[in-house]
Amino acid sequence: MVGLSLGERHFIQGGIAQDLRCDGRKRLTYRPIYVETGVIPQAHGSARIRMGATEVIASVKAELGKPSLLQPDKGKVSIYIDCSSTAEPAFEGRGGDDLSAELSVALQRSLLGAKSGAGAGIDLSSLIVVEGKICWDLYIDGLVVSSDGNLLDALGAAIKAALSNTGIPRVQVAAGASGDEKPEVEISDDEFLQFDTSGVPVIVTLTKVGRHSIVDATSEEESQMSSAVSISVNRQGHICGITKRGSVGLDPSIVLDMISVAKHVSEQLINKLDSEIASAEAEDDS
Amino acid sequence: MAGKAGATPATYSPSPTTDKKKTSLIKEDWVRPDGRGFHQCRPAFFRTGAVNAASGSAYAEFGNTKVIVSVFGPRESKKAMLYSDVGRLNCNVSYTTFATPVRGQGSDHKDYSAMLDKALGGAIILESFPKTTVDVFALVLESGGSDLPVVISCASLALADAGIMMYDLVASVSVSCLSKNLVIDPISEEENCQDGSIMITCMPSRYEITQLTVTGEWSTPKINEGMQLCLDACAKLAKVMRSCLKEASDSQD
Repeated sequence: MVGLSLGERHFIQGGIAQDLRCDGRKRLTYRPIYVETGVIPQAHGSARIRMGATEVIASVKAELGKPSLLQPDKGKVSIYIDCSSTAEPAFEGRGGDDLSAELSVALQRSLLGAKSGAGAGIDLSSLIVVEGKICWDLYIDGLVVSSDGNLLDALGAAIKAALSNTGIPRVQVAAGASGDEKPEVEISDDEFLQFDTSGVPVIVTLTKVGRHSIVDATSEEESQMSSAVSISVNRQGHICGITKRGSVGLDPSIVLDMISVAKHVSEQLINKLDSEIASAEAEDDS
Repeated sequence: MAGKAGATPATYSPSPTTDKKKTSLIKEDWVRPDGRGFHQCRPAFFRTGAVNAASGSAYAEFGNTKVIVSVFGPRESKKAMLYSDVGRLNCNVSYTTFATPVRGQGSDHKDYSAMLDKALGGAIILESFPKTTVDVFALVLESGGSDLPVVISCASLALADAGIMMYDLVASVSVSCLSKNLVIDPISEEENCQDGSIMITCMPSRYEITQLTVTGEWSTPKINEGMQLCLDACAKLAKVMRSCLKEASDSQD
């Protein structure tokens, strides 16, 4: 954890109260976001995101699998986050496990929607190849390379960028397979299908320090938080998931305020991220 | 939300609610599988002092969901832990192998353990037991939907039974969204086809939310409605929990 003196703590809290934070930002301003796509050639899609000193990598791998019996018309997506011990010595060994699990659950909640598949950022029915028999299994892996606060927002953005960078090979299904037989498939090597990522939400974490909430907190600021609420919002302005961190209680009206602030902030963030992803893709292609 | 009246049958017969029939929930005029109104909770039953060995314990039954929670401590923290001038809370939620229709692994539920920890942490006065740990062990005997909310409410009752200092009881309720309808306190069948859910744990007397999770796609008015439903139900649930505690202390005198 971050060790701060009493003076430093007061400085951070006072700055936030006056809407001027230590690095000169306002309460609702993000750090500049740098996006780089296609960083892992082994994966079907990948991206690296840097926000200040926070750096994360997300990779998407697709494998052919079998849909679950309960949902034969849907593919499967799993999200795992790994907190590397290079990011912080405290993550060494099993130290990062709790944080990894917390981040994974929060991302699954935000991106995969409810049990019925409603509100999912990724359209699971687009992953189906042959209904009930073959589907794509997407494995989304996130890696925290360097940690300076606001990991969840960065990971959410990295996954969004990695998904828009993802190309799924076109699959030819051999005709003639009937009944219970597993149809033969041919995976194309040079034809790739792009994903529709317009529905993937962004995550906005509002960290409450003192009486005010801030976005994109650094780890110094996070050490002063009483609680944080991560809200994922899609392009339509609908809420796709909320996770609360920190166990200090919040008044319900504050939560509702945070939701409306998050909706406002998310609009700018989505636009900013989309343009960054587009320019990163352009650079990647050239 | 009234306490369950005790007309117990002489011999045990399994409750007949787990029929395999799959109702289509998209229809306009569907009824909930157990015949409740959309905004009606299952009858809640609480009993403290279920485990003798523990410093405090509670048993909760909401329809088919049956949970037992025992609290140990405050007791000495493990040797490896560093000195801490506030107490520690250690939560663990596990399922029995026979809790679910398909035989489970019966292992620990990591997500729920973390959620329970965060939901209770804000309500407990940790300063009142420095250097020591309070262990909260929850066991889901039968999973019948809304498991985590029941575990959280039951755990706060067990903490109160153990005499751990708290700011307030913690009550928890979830709401599911099924197409256009909001249904409170969903059972497993409803949870399996829900389009979204809100779970709120709150301290009703202080009117503070300690934990909140939302899944699925929600518009702002719908979230407001769902949150208000949860908060109202939490307030009612807390009354039932309080009366259970009172009953227990009265019978001791």
